[in-house]
Amino acid sequence: MLNVAANTVARTNFNALIEADRIHGSLYTNPAIFAQEMDTLYSKGWVYVAHESEVPKPGDFCTRLIGQQSVIVSRDKDGSVHILYNRCPHRGSVVCQLETGNRPNFSCPYHGWAFNLRGDLIGVPYQNGYDESFDMSRSGMAKVPRIASRGGFIFASLEAQGKSLDQHLGNATELIDMLVGLSPEGKLDLRAGWMKHRMKANWKMVIENQVDGYHAPMVHSSLLRANKTFATVRDRRDSSPTRVRDLGLGHLDIYHTTDYRDKGTLFRWTGGIEESRMSRYVDAMKQAYGEKEARLRLIDGPPHAVLFPNISLAEMNIMVIQPISVDETIQYTTPVILVGGEELNERTLRRCEGALGPAGFLIADDAEISELTYRGLLDRQPEWLILKRGIGQEEVSADGIRTAGLMDETTQRGFWHHYRDVMSSSH
Amino acid sequence: MTSIATSRPLEAPLSDEDVRQFLFLEARLQDEHEYDAWEALWDDEALYWVPAGSDDADPATQVSYVYDNRARIASRIRQLNTGRRHSQAPASRMRRVISNIEIERKANSVIRTCSNFMLVEARRGQMTLWAGRTIMELSAASGATKIRMKKVLLVNNDQPLSNMAFLI
Repeated sequence: MLNVAANTVARTNFNALIEADRIHGSLYTNPAIFAQEMDTLYSKGWVYVAHESEVPKPGDFCTRLIGQQSVIVSRDKDGSVHILYNRCPHRGSVVCQLETGNRPNFSCPYHGWAFNLRGDLIGVPYQNGYDESFDMSRSGMAKVPRIASRGGFIFASLEAQGKSLDQHLGNATELIDMLVGLSPEGKLDLRAGWMKHRMKANWKMVIENQVDGYHAPMVHSSLLRANKTFATVRDRRDSSPTRVRDLGLGHLDIYHTTDYRDKGTLFRWTGGIEESRMSRYVDAMKQAYGEKEARLRLIDGPPHAVLFPNISLAEMNIMVIQPISVDETIQYTTPVILVGGEELNERTLRRCEGALGPAGFLIADDAEISELTYRGLLDRQPEWLILKRGIGQEEVSADGIRTAGLMDETTQRGFWHHYRDVMSSSH
Repeated sequence: MTSIATSRPLEAPLSDEDVRQFLFLEARLQDEHEYDAWEALWDDEALYWVPAGSDDADPATQVSYVYDNRARIASRIRQLNTGRRHSQAPASRMRRVISNIEIERKANSVIRTCSNFMLVEARRGQMTLWAGRTIMELSAASGATKIRMKKVLLVNNDQPLSNMAFLI
């Protein structure tokens, strides 16, 4: 195989840009660093791509990006999932232009080459013009070599070799399980559509902000003043029992469980809906998991987490942070629909669109700040960003989980230290 | 601001010209961030809706960019009125043109309008073009004309949007 790097760039010394308590501003703005991220994080590591519920039936497909690579996620006739590079092996055209759909096979718009759901070439028009040197069995679409899933979340790696998805997720498997475990059937349905939100910002700011417990009183002050439920349903003070955690391997969360368990009531994570209005859902949870475990799950609610590098389990929302270029990011948002949680689902949908997306009461303001941060960082002084908050007050558990107060920058440090490890390693 | 005072009482029965003037008023209040006056145009039961993904996405199962009932419209306005909504501080400068207005009279003094709009938003050195079709239902049953439904079909509602924290 020819070894042609997609982006020929000088290797950056990331150890010189990322220290224990500060990072260099150029990490967000240097196009050469973005190119290395695409070649390393998004080409060698595991990346979230799609959810199995988006392609439930044979022939179902959706198109996505892995880094800057356009791919088709397809459900084969035997139920298996394939991820194909969305490029015709003949002359290079995009094969599939739709975002979702159902097809028995794919065909290229240029010369009509046809491929089955696993990307094998199954037909070419006017085939008599090809001689025996043309091997159809070796002329199919390129497949993404590694696919694995957890809780229906499909991850992929463009690299054939490397650590397993379980090794990549580490402690974060429990976050996926926590979310999926809110369905009495252990199943999520992510087919409520995507809000697509474009920001003139670097993707890392967008993902770091998902687990920043410090900004809310400032960035969201307008909503805190305008909306009583938002202001009171959880403890947002510096002294809050809520923790932030670095779970290792770049996976991070805001751990509301400590706050919710203090109060001990069910459904605070829904904005404080009365338990009596969710009786069928509560019953189904008790049937599925037993009285005690069901109550605990409904007290704890969903995770508020980032799985490195590109997905946020943002409570009852999934947010996929898609890098477009060094200064452009698209945030895709969809509500988490629980199979067996019908009483809750429409509320989840309405809360998602109220809070998130380009018109959302929360995220429009986060997007604004991400854009301001990008613009600010184009000014070159001072060179370093300060990530010191709470650095002396972290607790580290036996399994390596680093915990600190709600407003501490443990999550940011966790992101960057893992980023440094991955970007510095030659794989 | 740059307006003609609307001294004309918008009471039933409305002529087609009255309806057009009402649409222009609603547009101007949005452009000029006259939040309270805009909110006052809404009926007690109301829906302000900007679908995502396609024009006919089912709101019972599909996420929208905006799906505000009357209480949420009020919440949106309260938030804007704090002056601390970062995504509208500074506020966008906007002007929109409404055209191709079609007016249909329904039962119970309900008037349905369809129109096209082009909106230019200027903010932080950027000019952003927004465009789409607006479907409105106006009710004049209680005397004063009120909006009971406004659905905005952005031409790019299947594409990524930049911040849309202003009133569309």
